[in-house]
Amino acid sequence: MEGHQRNLSLYERFNARVLGVSRDDVTTLKYWGKGLGVTFPLLSNITAFLGVSVGAQAEGRPIFSRRTIIVDKAGIIRYARDGSPDFKDVLLFLKKLNQEGGKP
Amino acid sequence: MKMKWFKVLCLMGITAWFAGCATMEAKKPPYELTTKGTVIYEQEFEFTTPPPGWKLVKVETREGSGEFAFGFLKEDPGPFPSQSMFAYDEDPFGCSTTFEEREKEFFNRFLWNAALNIQVLEKKKVEVIGREGLEVIAEGKDPMKKEKARSKVVFGKRGDRVVAFYITQWRPIDGNYDSAPFEVFDKFVKSFKFLKKSFYETL
Repeated sequence: MEGHQRNLSLYERFNARVLGVSRDDVTTLKYWGKGLGVTFPLLSNITAFLGVSVGAQAEGRPIFSRRTIIVDKAGIIRYARDGSPDFKDVLLFLKKLNQEGGKP
Repeated sequence: MKMKWFKVLCLMGITAWFAGCATMEAKKPPYELTTKGTVIYEQEFEFTTPPPGWKLVKVETREGSGEFAFGFLKEDPGPFPSQSMFAYDEDPFGCSTTFEEREKEFFNRFLWNAALNIQVLEKKKVEVIGREGLEVIAEGKDPMKKEKARSKVVFGKRGDRVVAFYITQWRPIDGNYDSAPFEVFDKFVKSFKFLKKSFYETL
């Protein structure tokens, strides 16, 4: 999350916005985000439907797996990677997408 | 007859094995020496290397960011945990681009796993990599494990982003710190140069 926060100005340059989604409750996320200095929205999705819809909810696990997803303006998932985010890869993809006019 | 075939097969096996060896390329080290006595690391950084006894290490990066970080480690004389380690970190803890804010964010998480109660002892503005930077000296102690650590962190800028150099020296709680590794670190920082623009500057 800190990495995304560091890159906010670059995301803005490529017309992208970042959102974090977690199964934690609002209060937990509020304090967690404050502790990390995160200023972008963190969504609390206790019922997990968002994670399920993008394949980040492994069966039998109470939390989401780490997954980075880029959604374009039309709502189409254009990028999905599991594990910790590869920030350089994300930025290069957003740059390419922005140049193509498919603004995320 | 069987023995002859066995020998032929063995010979073929050995030949194939050697042929495989001949095609294997030796892995190039990530650095090259210059005539000035410095090292060029991954074609991106130039610096003076520490004297013998220091081992090159890759520093674990947070969140698998892939950001570049490397350092040097030296086992110091004395009982556990006597050692010194310094590093260049392309992506130090925190997010802010001002040194004052970044320093606070950094020390919220630096050596967090060690559960040391870290206190900042000294702060001063310095010049680092040709620009203004911030040098911070901090110390932490763990009376339960009877360990202590002293760190010097130098925050600098690469483009718009904050980078950091840091050294941490570990000692038993009643041990004495050694200034020599800190001098090696100072020399490393003073000699450090960027040979090209960072990924973020060229994006």
